[in-house]
Amino acid sequence: MKTYIIRRLLYMIPIVFGVMLITFILFNVVGGDRSVELAGKTASAETIAEIRHEYGWDKPMYFNTVAAGERGFKGLFDSQLFHHLRKCLTLDFGKSIRDRRFIIDIIKEGAGASLSLTVPIFLISVLAALAISLLVAHWRGTKFDRILVVLCVVGMSMPYLSYIMLGQYFLGYKLNLFPVFGYEPGLAAVQYLALPVLIGVISGLGSEVRMYRTIILDEIGADYVRTARAKGLATPNILFKHVLKNAMIPVITRVVLAIPFLFLGSLLLERFFGIPGLGYLTIEAISSRDDPVISAMTFIGALLYLFGLIATDICYALVDPRVKLK
Amino acid sequence: MRFHLKVFTWLLAALLVGSGCRREESLSEEEAAGLKVRYTVAASKVRGLDPGDIGDVTSSSVASQMFETLYQYHFLKRPYELIPMLAESMPQIRDDGLTYTIKIRQDVYFFDDQCFGGGVGRQLTVHDFIYAWKRIANIKYLSKNWWIFDGRIVGLDDFREYTKSVERKEDVDYDRPVEGLEALDKFTLQIKLTKPWPQILFLLAHLPTAPMAREAVDHYGDQLRNVAIGTGPYMLKSWRRGSKIIMVRNPKFRKVTYPIEGEPQDKSNGFLDDSGELIPLIDRIETTIAEESQPYWLLFMQGKVDAAGIPKDFYNQAINPRGTLTKQMIKKGIDLIVREDPSTFWFGFNMEDPLVGKNLPLRQAMSCAWNRREYVEVFNNNRGVSAKGIFPPMFKEYDPNFVNTYTQYYLELARKLMAQAVQLNNGKPLEVTLSLPGTDTLSRQMGQYFQRCMDKIGLKVKVDYYDWPTFQDRVKTKSLQIFAMGWVADYPDGESFLQVFYGPNGSPGPNNFNYHNPKYDQLYDKISVMPDSEKRSKIYREMERIVCDDCVAIFSYHSIAYVPYYKYLKNYKPHVFQYGLTKYRDIDLELRKELIGR
Repeated sequence: MKTYIIRRLLYMIPIVFGVMLITFILFNVVGGDRSVELAGKTASAETIAEIRHEYGWDKPMYFNTVAAGERGFKGLFDSQLFHHLRKCLTLDFGKSIRDRRFIIDIIKEGAGASLSLTVPIFLISVLAALAISLLVAHWRGTKFDRILVVLCVVGMSMPYLSYIMLGQYFLGYKLNLFPVFGYEPGLAAVQYLALPVLIGVISGLGSEVRMYRTIILDEIGADYVRTARAKGLATPNILFKHVLKNAMIPVITRVVLAIPFLFLGSLLLERFFGIPGLGYLTIEAISSRDDPVISAMTFIGALLYLFGLIATDICYALVDPRVKLK
Repeated sequence: MRFHLKVFTWLLAALLVGSGCRREESLSEEEAAGLKVRYTVAASKVRGLDPGDIGDVTSSSVASQMFETLYQYHFLKRPYELIPMLAESMPQIRDDGLTYTIKIRQDVYFFDDQCFGGGVGRQLTVHDFIYAWKRIANIKYLSKNWWIFDGRIVGLDDFREYTKSVERKEDVDYDRPVEGLEALDKFTLQIKLTKPWPQILFLLAHLPTAPMAREAVDHYGDQLRNVAIGTGPYMLKSWRRGSKIIMVRNPKFRKVTYPIEGEPQDKSNGFLDDSGELIPLIDRIETTIAEESQPYWLLFMQGKVDAAGIPKDFYNQAINPRGTLTKQMIKKGIDLIVREDPSTFWFGFNMEDPLVGKNLPLRQAMSCAWNRREYVEVFNNNRGVSAKGIFPPMFKEYDPNFVNTYTQYYLELARKLMAQAVQLNNGKPLEVTLSLPGTDTLSRQMGQYFQRCMDKIGLKVKVDYYDWPTFQDRVKTKSLQIFAMGWVADYPDGESFLQVFYGPNGSPGPNNFNYHNPKYDQLYDKISVMPDSEKRSKIYREMERIVCDDCVAIFSYHSIAYVPYYKYLKNYKPHVFQYGLTKYRDIDLELRKELIGR
């Protein structure tokens, strides 16, 4: 397995380089610089020039031949591209254009709030979806199954934003069951997170139950389930011990791959409920074109995805003895 | 299985019972202790609290509770009148308006903070003003506010030149003398101007000119944006970025009292009830940041904030067709402030563009074809006044009798002018491009509305949509033909608007039209050194007419703000320059309990 992991890590190098290159092209080459906006409504040409200098936007795009002439070979890499590569590799993304704060500090600050929202949503969703799917699969073909399938389809068809707006309006404002908005760190966060977590869970339940139901139905029809029944095993034992374990491969693919993205938060939930997490940060950065922040979040997202893929493969091997990682 | 079902049923029952219980409104610790807490909401994030680099409304609103300036606008008197704040009195002005001598109060102290020796805030001196202004001049500091001092103070531009030669902003020698900024003693500041500058006092009431303690800058460095070491009535207690800011009363705040005079009707309106009382009257301010309109509005409707603007989508819930509050709002104990903003919004023409810049009939035709009244009704819920020219109605230079032919919706004339425009274009059909700063649905609807208006005179319009930074970049690099923009005055002097059309202020300066009219520029040079007088107002109006005759922009509307607030919020008199006014506000705790139950 060690060899496998090392090989996968080595495969990551060209992919990571590709991601760095794409983010550079998107935000530096296509996007251009933001000096004019930063200089304010009464900008002067000299302030704009100074801002371009401060952010390194006055450097050549790919190779600095002028600096190479003055400072030798090393100077050749004093360009926007190589500065971008260095920033990504050292995870020192520099400062946010809008807040002028170090991006890494902003990320550290927001990760806690994001996780406090996304981890409960993730755990409750997975457990609830699996439990409901097992029950539905067990009672397949009955009224209960049909009603739930219809509810799942309805749930999947509703836009995510509707859940948020309706939940906030009716459960928060009209019924006053939860705070409409806000966030406090520590234990006090529970009361503020309850509604966004509930919305997050309910909005995702439809698609998850539908998918897990299909997976579990495939397993329930297998020979070993009939054998277990014939031997007189209790239904909960069959469902939770045997069926669930065998249905785990596709479940793992979905679940493990989702874990790294928990760090990135939930864009809409955070914004609508005032949770100062990374999702909120990203949406803010996009709307204000804070390119260094978007670039950092894109790069981190890509890295997390790659690590998620490796983790998924490892989990396959742990859950299913037939899978060998070579 | 039966056991599992039982557990599931119980859990479900518990959830349903729990859901049926409404949450009780609980008092915060501060409210329980009898403190007066003001709850506010902001629709955008606070960027930073360093006054020298502040440029947005939300940050200014928050920072102005903690930082003070030499002068301020009187809270009650109208028209707006400047009075001393950190200054002891109004300045002595001599040498034909070139030298200002300002004495500052000696009872002002910075907040206690670790940046000062022993953690105790020291006394304010004029050196803190000189330092703050030199800091804005330091080009390495990249302040957005250099425009305030640019070319105004003797020697300050040279100081800026010097900072260009310094490698890092920390290496700048702030002890380097600037001739125009001199401390005659610890409490007397002398400012020498390069030429008369009648607006200087307005800008000395502008937040970026607040004094800054050098110790704070040295101690916090780049983190200064996250702290606030000021002298104001409130101190920063906590700031959760993008979520909430809490400020508390400054225990060391000097003795300042509530105004004892105002406008004639202020007494009957209760705005003089607190006359002579020590301010601030409120102990704590909690500002929640809610960028989405639904939570922003719901927080207000739940009584979680004391006052708020009305988001477009909730306008009909708050205001009835007569323009007053709906019954639902009145029942909740809400009152309404209607306030004119010092703003004008327009569609600007880039006068360097070979098509629109050289075709006056085309610009005039477009201006005549623009249906201002319908636009304000459809897109602003009638919260605006159709514009006739540059000045909003609240400015004394606004002439109600001024008739601008080209800002009236007059399709017949527009079509005639359009025919002339086509002729000027050698008979070829015309097509123009409008650029809008937004890519959302609303912007697209606005673009379509503009197209529809121009379609009526046979003008084809292509609409481009940009995000705000790209739009700004395009405007400042003169790449756009017609662009939607506006201007909000920084001070109550029409000059704030007139500078926007001054030739030398062309892009990237504030003159985004790149408009050059020698006569206008000559008049601007004249008024820029003239003190306020009827003669100056007359020239202001003359300049407005020049701009209107040249049809530099399609002047669209002046906005009006509707601000509903709970009646327990006292001393809530509308004020256009509303920074730092919370110190005068008050809360009727009994009425609050009666209205919102806490």
